[in-house]
Amino acid sequence: MSDFLAEVERRAYKQALFAVRDDHVALDVVQDAMLKLTEKYSARPPAELPLLFQRILQNTIRDHFRRQKVRSMWTMPVSSLLGGDPEGDGDPLETLEVADDSKFSEPPAEQAARAQVLALIEKALEKLPARQRQAFLLRYWEELDVTAAAKIMGCSEGSVKTHCSRASHALAVMLTKQGIKL
Amino acid sequence: MNRPEHELARKLVRYLDDGLDQLEPRVRERLAAARRNALSHYREQPATVFGLAWAGQVGVWLTEHRSSRVRVLIAAAALVLATVGVVYWQSTRSANGLTDIDFYLLTDELPINAYLDKGFDSWLKRSSR
Repeated sequence: MSDFLAEVERRAYKQALFAVRDDHVALDVVQDAMLKLTEKYSARPPAELPLLFQRILQNTIRDHFRRQKVRSMWTMPVSSLLGGDPEGDGDPLETLEVADDSKFSEPPAEQAARAQVLALIEKALEKLPARQRQAFLLRYWEELDVTAAAKIMGCSEGSVKTHCSRASHALAVMLTKQGIKL
Repeated sequence: MNRPEHELARKLVRYLDDGLDQLEPRVRERLAAARRNALSHYREQPATVFGLAWAGQVGVWLTEHRSSRVRVLIAAAALVLATVGVVYWQSTRSANGLTDIDFYLLTDELPINAYLDKGFDSWLKRSSR
């Protein structure tokens, strides 16, 4: 169990971070998911752990958004009276700082350039619709098959394929727009 | 999935994997602490009996959806109780009203409002025929 958690914890954190966009919340989500796994499913065979953990992680992220929605139902009328900051309206890719002299059309050889490309990829992933991002990460980063991804997402295998295809297309468009050619 | 999409996904994932090594030490420490905390709650459980494997699956489903399901059940139970309460209150109120009217009719002490009621008037005409 320890080895499994050590192997998945960083990817789990990144997945949560792409979804919730707050590193403290993302860390809390991963911690909750780890706790649920060890408390309730410790008797499960190791082969089942990746699927179980992903299910728990996705449900924990969903629970976070559900709680946030309930909270915002109460806080929104107050913040609208006070004139809140319209956060999240802009395109994060537009506001991301990119050096004027950067040449993303060339293969990024240096580490700094790679870091910049990575930042743009992560921003593009954040910008994807939640279901597309979820399908893309489950299929390609977690390397789950379509059946397992569909089980976790609670949808059909066809939907997973569609989400993946749209995610790949959207990512390609967003990154090309930023001058990145992979 | 077609080949160019798969190729793009593979390249993106390579970048994402590289990014995992660049996580801040603060984040790594918090993740390690979370893992240690989770492992301290690790419980050895008896192996699942084959015949009861389905029950385990139900358990997984229930525990994963527990918080939302319980909330829905509580809300449904409250709604049913409220509906039963309203129906009971309405039925007892109308029964009490009928008892009062019978009492006034028998004691010949009908309130003046009864004579202004068109329904009562038509009932009187019908019953006197």
